[in-house]
Amino acid sequence: MTAGANALTAVPETGEDILDVSFLADEHARSGISNPVLGMILFIASEVMFFAGLFAAYFNIRSAAPVWPPTGNIEFDLHPHLAIAGFLTIMLVTSSVTCQLGLWAIRRGDRTGLVRAFTITIVLGVLFLAGQLYDYSTLGFGINDGPFGSTFYTLTGFHGAHVFAGLLMLGVILYRGTAGQFSARHHDAVEAASLYWHFVDVVWICLFSLLYILG
Amino acid sequence: MATTVLTPTTTRARSGLYDWLTTTDHKKIGILYLTSSFIFFLIGGILALLVRTELAQPGLQFMGEASYNQFFTMHASVMLFLFVIPMLAGFGNYVVPLMIGAPDMAFPRINALSFWLLPLAGTIMMLGFFLGGSAAEGWTSYSPLANAKYSPGVGTDLWIVGLILIGTSSILGGINFLVTIFKMRAPGMTMFRLPILVWTILVTSVLVVLGTPVLTSALIMLFIDRNYGGSFFDPANGGNALLWQNVFWFYSHPAVYIMILPGMGIVSEIIPVFSRKPLFGYKAFVFATCAIGALGFSVWAHHMFTTGSVYLPFFSFMTFLIAVPTGVKFFNWIATMWKGKIEFSAAMLFAIGFLTMFLIGGINGAFSASVPVDFAINSTYWIVAHIHYVLFGGSVFAIFGGLFYWFPKMFGVKLNETLGKIQFVIMFVGFNLTFFPMHELGLMGMPRRIADYSPAAGWTDLNLVATIGSFIVAISVLPFLWNVFVSLRSGERVGDDPWEANTLEWATTSPPPPYNFDRLPEIHSERPVFDERHGRSLPASGH
Amino acid sequence: MTKFAQGMRRGLPVMALAAVAVVLVAACGTGVTVLQPPPAASTQGKATETLYQVVFIIGAVVFFLVEGLILFASVRYRRRKDDDGTLPPQIHGSNVLEVIWTIIPIAIVAGLFIFSWQTLNTVDAVSPSPQLKVEITGFQWEWQFTYPDQGITIVGLPDKHPELVVPVDQTIQVSLQSRDVIHGFYVPAFLFKRDAIPGKTNVFDFTPSEIGTFSGQCTQFCGLKHWDMRFDVRVVSAADFAAWAAQAKATPTPAPPSPSPAGSAGPAPSGAAQPVPLGLTAQNIAYDKTDLSAPVNTPIQLTFVNNDPGIPHNVSIHKDTPAGEAVFTGDIVTGVTTKVYDIPALPAGTYAFVCSVHPSMVGTLTVR
Ligand code: HEA
Ligand code: HEA
Ligand code: CUA
Ligand SMILES: [Cu+2]
Repeated sequence: MTAGANALTAVPETGEDILDVSFLADEHARSGISNPVLGMILFIASEVMFFAGLFAAYFNIRSAAPVWPPTGNIEFDLHPHLAIAGFLTIMLVTSSVTCQLGLWAIRRGDRTGLVRAFTITIVLGVLFLAGQLYDYSTLGFGINDGPFGSTFYTLTGFHGAHVFAGLLMLGVILYRGTAGQFSARHHDAVEAASLYWHFVDVVWICLFSLLYILG
Repeated sequence: MATTVLTPTTTRARSGLYDWLTTTDHKKIGILYLTSSFIFFLIGGILALLVRTELAQPGLQFMGEASYNQFFTMHASVMLFLFVIPMLAGFGNYVVPLMIGAPDMAFPRINALSFWLLPLAGTIMMLGFFLGGSAAEGWTSYSPLANAKYSPGVGTDLWIVGLILIGTSSILGGINFLVTIFKMRAPGMTMFRLPILVWTILVTSVLVVLGTPVLTSALIMLFIDRNYGGSFFDPANGGNALLWQNVFWFYSHPAVYIMILPGMGIVSEIIPVFSRKPLFGYKAFVFATCAIGALGFSVWAHHMFTTGSVYLPFFSFMTFLIAVPTGVKFFNWIATMWKGKIEFSAAMLFAIGFLTMFLIGGINGAFSASVPVDFAINSTYWIVAHIHYVLFGGSVFAIFGGLFYWFPKMFGVKLNETLGKIQFVIMFVGFNLTFFPMHELGLMGMPRRIADYSPAAGWTDLNLVATIGSFIVAISVLPFLWNVFVSLRSGERVGDDPWEANTLEWATTSPPPPYNFDRLPEIHSERPVFDERHGRSLPASGH
Repeated sequence: MTKFAQGMRRGLPVMALAAVAVVLVAACGTGVTVLQPPPAASTQGKATETLYQVVFIIGAVVFFLVEGLILFASVRYRRRKDDDGTLPPQIHGSNVLEVIWTIIPIAIVAGLFIFSWQTLNTVDAVSPSPQLKVEITGFQWEWQFTYPDQGITIVGLPDKHPELVVPVDQTIQVSLQSRDVIHGFYVPAFLFKRDAIPGKTNVFDFTPSEIGTFSGQCTQFCGLKHWDMRFDVRVVSAADFAAWAAQAKATPTPAPPSPSPAGSAGPAPSGAAQPVPLGLTAQNIAYDKTDLSAPVNTPIQLTFVNNDPGIPHNVSIHKDTPAGEAVFTGDIVTGVTTKVYDIPALPAGTYAFVCSVHPSMVGTLTVR
């Protein structure tokens, strides 16, 4: 009889509903990074490749275009929107900071700290989305206005969708946090959600530099 | 000699249909995967028979070109995305946790979600047939042909949505496999003791996690082009027609390794067991698998040689190079059989069928790596021959081998060996009759994806042979269906380890209890069950 | 028995190689053409053909060797009836062997690669001073061949695939384009194909070396009638080419009977009735209307608008069905263009109107 076999005797009979059965595996596998966090890192890797596909399309189309942004009767210049986009960037970066503060709080076992920080994070995220929608409404072109329009709205739109998904995740964490489900030892979901939020932030910084600053 | 004490297993908390619909047990999900994929194999096969029937003679006798184009498009889409990929994922699901001594996958509920996305996606894709026509641009769906202007109709949109869902299912599945393999191994199961099948699933999962999202992004851009006036792919609106090919093949070349690596893994499990020898060059297999995965990302433009827009020598060289790790595997498989005591069970026959037929598919693929030769054979039936020698001669033979091999583990009964051998012989003959003449047709200049050809072209006879062959293949599937049916009802009951196998799944009962193991043998090598059966005193050299 | 095995092991490679040699020599000696491309009819194609032979022979050797090893091992090492149940020697591997069977394939593929690359440079070479230039344009689902220096244009029609006429032994430079989706220009006898991609011009040379007619076909799937997108290449002597060119120039674009000299055909009693105006637009490879009607025995003035940039369309009118007898065939015009057709008066009945280029564009004309 080995250690693994001993661990297995603890299997609950109706355990089918248990989401995380990793506790059944041996200690040595549990050392290091936890399953949800590893899963999230891999998920983020796939998301990176998803955006890589969209970015590749952007660069490909841009490099083939004779002038960029295209000229004509539609105004494609994004520089006038630099101020609002910059403001949005500051909000999203700040939200990443507050998110990290929340994570540090729960690592210390500070539940109210987590709740407070994540509330601010969510508010900033919602404001970001609202600001982005406002920015859209002031742009003079649509998704069907040539390659500039399609790449711009696809890139920023899918980023926005990811912010939205991140907000849902943070919302669940906040809900579970107020219910006191996390502790200094047990907060993998918080780690995973914060990783995702940072990722969303990084994508935005790339988009901001590329679309608004470089133009 | 069985290695486990037979303990009466579970007390079922739930039963029947509801249980299957809500299960999060990797074994049940694995069987669901296998079953649904097999149904899609039959659907894809019937579509293939329609294609072959039309091609048997010149003239459009049975269908118009509009239907033909839908049929071959959906034939490939179903076979690749709803049959081969999920089928192999099904084996992975069933076997990987057992092989590494884990109680389940890392995320059982996500696992269930991965599965249920597939029938949903399949239904969405096929819905096109009833809503004015399915997608009909070929499984590669080249743009601008696939844009709304040239392919109006909802069929292509449904195809896109279905494929995005399948991709999501694959990505979630891939993440699940990776976390399971990295984190849930039993004590003693180090990375270099993992069965080769687990290694191939690992590398496949990496390809899925890094490749499939790129396909998703391409599909989304196509959807935007089609429905929201986007301009990604149509040069008429400032897009780039070759962009689609680049992003599509960036995924779809690695995808062909997604479709073969687990098959190679299955073969690598079967051959040692029925040769009564350890796998020759275990570490070489690991490195070769990783090399194929890595090289797989650097050859996508070999599908674009004739566009005149890629740097040909680079992609030619990388494509040639892939022959090397694949060759290493071949020689190691042969060395495993060398001086063994080979038992020709049905599973082993399919494994040998894999070796002999995938070899042809690999070599005729290497012809395409030689760019000028590809100029001659690209988009002809030579390529159709290549596709089927690798995918049917490779993946499908491996899949049948795997079904015969693990059936007793899944259901406690063996499939009938005689019926299995009959199936193998008929299938092998029919397969070669169908697809070998296609080499010749390709060289004669018959392009693929044509609904009709001129009687003057001189392609009639070989096409007739291919059509006859395809019906022989169809007939060979019947003994299998019968075999499953009779074996489940009254198959030969066997012990936990009927093949005297090597890997951990044979250390538990057949079928295994809900959390797989009541006890685990000690793991000191990549053959824990062999070690337990024979003691560890046997002389081991090399390694 | 072990002695036998050893003997076999030593003898096997020799035997396999001998078998391969026998098969290959037999194949070459008897001129058997199993798995051979058609004899190349261009100089570039000849280079590819040579390369193909090399790849084929190496492929065949690898195939026979590996297949032979698999079959030999299966047969020789099968479990015998009198098996004593002991385990065979448990060999786990050999680093020496691994290195050998890694290095040898690398050497083979490196050799193949270098030879392919050299041949590629021959096949892909583009001459700065070609003897003849042709612009080839693919569109759904026909080809157009333009000889810019000769002022000749040939457009394929559904019932008459176009013919590319070229002089033998001259370097012909092709600029390949597409007006809509991707097509593929493929002539099996040249062992060559190249894609016609919208928004991009592909340039390649070929030098036909045999006189004769060679069939060609589109190889990139391009929609409904992809299978029917055929053409011929007719290679003629230089003198014949000159004669053909002179004649082709004299009879401009061989479009079907032109209706332009109004009233030249048909029973329209001239001046009897004022023509009735009708309108029809082609857009997105479809007509905007599928039903038209006109009064009996009155000439029709059809204003036809082709709104598809770069895509050719026309209107042709047939008795009863698109397959029926043609009563009027309008010029094919490439969009974006407007064309006025004068259609002679028609007797009462039902007619089908259809685009000669795109048979899927159909509608019904009712004359009452
Ligand atoms: C399971 C799927 C699978 C697998 C494993 C492969 C494997 C390979 N494929 Fe294939 N391929 C497809 C599925 C697959 N392919 C499909 C579906 C298409 C068509 C897509 C479409 O357009 O619809 C395609 C198309 C395709 C093309 C494009 C052809 C064209 O459209 O013009 C090319 C070009 O290079 C190619 C090459 C190769 C090569 C070199 C390998 C190699 O990996 C093979 C390596 C194996 C061996 C070579 C045999 C064993 C090796 C030895 C015994 C060592 C010694 C050998 C030598 C020295 C040569 N494939
Ligand atoms: C795993 C992948 C896979 C598999 C298994 C198959 C299996 C088969 N394929 Fe397919 N095929 C592809 C992948 C696959 N194919 C791909 C990727 C393409 C390219 C498509 C493109 O160009 O876009 C293609 C294209 C393709 C073509 C070229 C079409 C064209 O270019 O116009 C043809 C033509 O013969 C063909 C034939 C067949 C046949 C006869 C089988 C058979 O082996 C099928 C055998 C199965 C059955 C027959 C069904 C089961 C039997 C029953 C249900 C029993 C009852 C029925 C009777 C007794 C009648 N396939
Ligand atoms: Cu044009 Cu196919
Ligand atoms: Cu490929």
